[in-house]
Amino acid sequence: MALFITKRLLMALATVLVVAVLAFLLVHAMPGSPGAVSLGAGASREAIDEVNGRLGWNDPLLSQFFRWLGDAVQGNLGTSLIDGRSVSADLGNRLPVTASLAAGATVLSAILGIGLGVSAAVRGGLVDRIVGGICGLAVALPAFWIGIIFVYLFAVQSSVFPATGYVPFEVSPQDWGMSLALPVITLAVGGAAFIARQTRASMLEALQQEHIRTLRATATPTWKILYIHALRYASLPIVAGIALQFIGLFGGSVIAEQLFAMPGLGQAVQTSVSTHDAPAVQGVVVIATVVVVAVNLVLELATKFLDPKLRAS
Amino acid sequence: MIPNVAPAPADSAPATAAAAVQPKSGQRAAFSKISASRLFASPGGVAGVVWLAALVVASLTAQWWLPYKTEDQDFTAVLSGPTAAHWLGTDELGRDLLSRIFAAAAGTLGTSLITVIVGVVLGTALAMVAAGRGQTEGGISRVTEVMMSLPGTVIILAVIGAVGTNIPLIMAILGVLISAGIYRVMLGQAKSLQSQLYVDAAKVDGVSTLGISLRHVLPGLTNTIVVQSALIFAVGMLIQAGLAFIGFGPPIPQPSWGGMIQGASQHVYDAPWLMVPTGAVLALTVLAANAIGNALGKAPNTGVSHLPSAAARRQRSVAAGAAASVAEAGAIPAKGHLSVRGLSVGVDGGTPLVTDVSFDVGPGTVLGLVGESGCGKTMTALSLLGLLPAGVSATGGQILWNGKNLAAATEREMEGIRGRDIALISQEPMRALDPMFTVGYQLTAAIRRLRKVGKAEAHAEALSLLEKVGIVDAKRILKTYPHQISGGMAQRVAIALALSGRPRLLVADEPTTALDVTVQAEILSLLRSLVKDTGMSVVMVTHDLGVVADICDNVAVMYAGQVVESGRTANILDNPRHPYTLALLAADPHANTAADMPERLATISGQVPQPKDWPTGCRFMARCQFAGSACAAPVPLLPSGSEDGLVRCVKADELAVEGLEWLATEVPTHRVLKIVEKDLA
Repeated sequence: MALFITKRLLMALATVLVVAVLAFLLVHAMPGSPGAVSLGAGASREAIDEVNGRLGWNDPLLSQFFRWLGDAVQGNLGTSLIDGRSVSADLGNRLPVTASLAAGATVLSAILGIGLGVSAAVRGGLVDRIVGGICGLAVALPAFWIGIIFVYLFAVQSSVFPATGYVPFEVSPQDWGMSLALPVITLAVGGAAFIARQTRASMLEALQQEHIRTLRATATPTWKILYIHALRYASLPIVAGIALQFIGLFGGSVIAEQLFAMPGLGQAVQTSVSTHDAPAVQGVVVIATVVVVAVNLVLELATKFLDPKLRAS
Repeated sequence: MIPNVAPAPADSAPATAAAAVQPKSGQRAAFSKISASRLFASPGGVAGVVWLAALVVASLTAQWWLPYKTEDQDFTAVLSGPTAAHWLGTDELGRDLLSRIFAAAAGTLGTSLITVIVGVVLGTALAMVAAGRGQTEGGISRVTEVMMSLPGTVIILAVIGAVGTNIPLIMAILGVLISAGIYRVMLGQAKSLQSQLYVDAAKVDGVSTLGISLRHVLPGLTNTIVVQSALIFAVGMLIQAGLAFIGFGPPIPQPSWGGMIQGASQHVYDAPWLMVPTGAVLALTVLAANAIGNALGKAPNTGVSHLPSAAARRQRSVAAGAAASVAEAGAIPAKGHLSVRGLSVGVDGGTPLVTDVSFDVGPGTVLGLVGESGCGKTMTALSLLGLLPAGVSATGGQILWNGKNLAAATEREMEGIRGRDIALISQEPMRALDPMFTVGYQLTAAIRRLRKVGKAEAHAEALSLLEKVGIVDAKRILKTYPHQISGGMAQRVAIALALSGRPRLLVADEPTTALDVTVQAEILSLLRSLVKDTGMSVVMVTHDLGVVADICDNVAVMYAGQVVESGRTANILDNPRHPYTLALLAADPHANTAADMPERLATISGQVPQPKDWPTGCRFMARCQFAGSACAAPVPLLPSGSEDGLVRCVKADELAVEGLEWLATEVPTHRVLKIVEKDLA
């Protein structure tokens, strides 16, 4: 187990490193130099060269990368070319927004998805067909479209939830929850449908296992067979599905943040890409990767812990 | 939004489940080539094809039929709903929505296709390489794992930063990211195709790795390729629309679905209608692609649930209520006496699997149900516990246990019988135990439930039960998981589990078939001593006449869903009356002693007929050496003359008088020679 964890940790580190290189190269392939971007249109050639020289833009790529990496390891991701703010500090403020959004959407997806998937598998018949239909529709509808419809229904028609904006948890936990409600529900629609399908398939597979017959032969009550034994057997692929979904929802938050005007990482990616703010793009890609890889690692370890075969070895 | 593509669980997942249960048939089914009939058999698939085809045609011919140009502005009708002039309404600049939606369609569909082609070609190629050359698999899998754990959306946006909104290029890069998920789906299938015998044969014949991949593996993957393409196509459209929505779509005046929805979102307060047409067309197109994928990807229904769905269980209770009145007519039985009368089992609303089976099992006796695979022994045995698989049920007759007809009992009544009165041990002990729980948990849970005792007492009882079934280090075994013990040990645990409710009748479904020969003997002697010590009776399903001779007091020989001969074991083995029993004995190497071992063992030509092919007359007629014209009429089960024996053969007496034996058929000599000559040549 220790060996397994070490291997996975190294793998995660390698992943982040690969992405860091990738982000670095992409940023260097962006049109325009940092000087041109930060000084804006109409800046003189000399002024631009001066800024580029100060930022070390013309140094060999390798030494630029290692300088960036050295700073990044110490928590310094450089400063924005647009407003001169520290990228680390800015992303540090934004991370809680996206984290609440993605975590909330993942948890809600898991609860809804497992509930729907289990009832579809267990009840069969009409319930199964209805859940299947809902899931099919939910997967086909784009999240941004669903989000706008929710805004129309819950913010325009009846002002149950605020249409846009984000209230930090420290300011008011209640308003924080209210401000997250619509974006979280929006993202959870597709996520829940995905997890419901995964759950349904895994439950059906679990119920096809021969040990279910043994349990029935020893008079195990049906609820116990379903919710203790079959669900336990199905839990491995379900947790794997949730891990996968978290990555998707983390990416999906780019759209949710845009739609609901939330100051999260997604908004930062969108703005920095539009403005060619190289250090910001580089920083946000790496931070997003670290978060996603870390959460994946935790969920993967959870999967291994759920499997007696792997736990024992 | 990207990883929704990863190994699509959709409707195709049960294929793997089925493969796990029935390795051979399940796998073959999954490799079926693309079938248009399967696509058109599904209403969703048909609708999907129709919609996509209509959309492609409409968008390609758009310039001839569209009522307006995409940039035509009608200031008299800004933000209008559907009107005669603008069927789907207009946007904030008075531009016609219908025209803009269809003008945008071709670009959306075309660029999504780029993602499909790049993703599917790359994913499939990687899977074929990994499957073809084992040493590359580790590396490729590791790289794809990394790709799948990346925040794809963020990376795509960073790419946009570098290359601009060059949609075809971005969609191609998206295809590369997605190929990791496709690789994962394809790899398993490509690997099992690689391990097929005909691929080994091709390798021996010197076909190159590339040749094998293209000729033998790729064709087997076509259906999955089409399914994945359809699903990725849908994902591509959604992602493209999402990018356009956040401002990374085609340059401004050019219409795109995502951009149009973004525009509509600005007017959700004053013109909510604007959301509807574009959203609906996008959703319908995604639905259409998914429907095609699901219609083709739907695995044939091979796996069988061991727990009927709630709906099925309700039906059973209703049926049981209706049949209950018939049940009371049985004679007054002895305690612990099982009497099966005219039992029929069949697929719901279809083929019968077992017809008119009768037998008795007295307390402390062992009955063997013998026959070839597929003759209905296991179905008969499972019906005693009401544990027939979903979709199969007892359709007639009675199973009288202590005077109660179990064939008509409700699920709730059966729960009171199972474990306490009648217990089950099955063929594969490893799969009969729950892999997720320790032996101790499973055993104590059953003891607590069936004996209504506390935790400590149940634990002590579990230890003593394990010792009773011959496990020496019971304490350690209690703490293990099923995968940590051997097959023989697992079967002992399964027997202990079956004994936990002190049953009066044990149904043993081929309990030794999956075990090593030495372990088989141990398990049989354990069962024998349990019968002696506890006085319980056993219904032993087996195809092994040695097991019958070893442990059974009585035998019922089954063939094609019927009992063809029954009686005391000694009588049947020494003096078989039915030609099928004769044949089974003649074909058994153990039944012949060394002295009279024939030169060639007998065989029974042909196969057990499928239930749908059962004739009205004798079901063994087609394979019987003694068949005559009289055999074509239905044959009753009649006393055979030796004690309480019964036999179902019109010629039984004739055979007995003439002392006929089942003969080994000669292999024509010319055939043997031919093979040898050919090999030498």
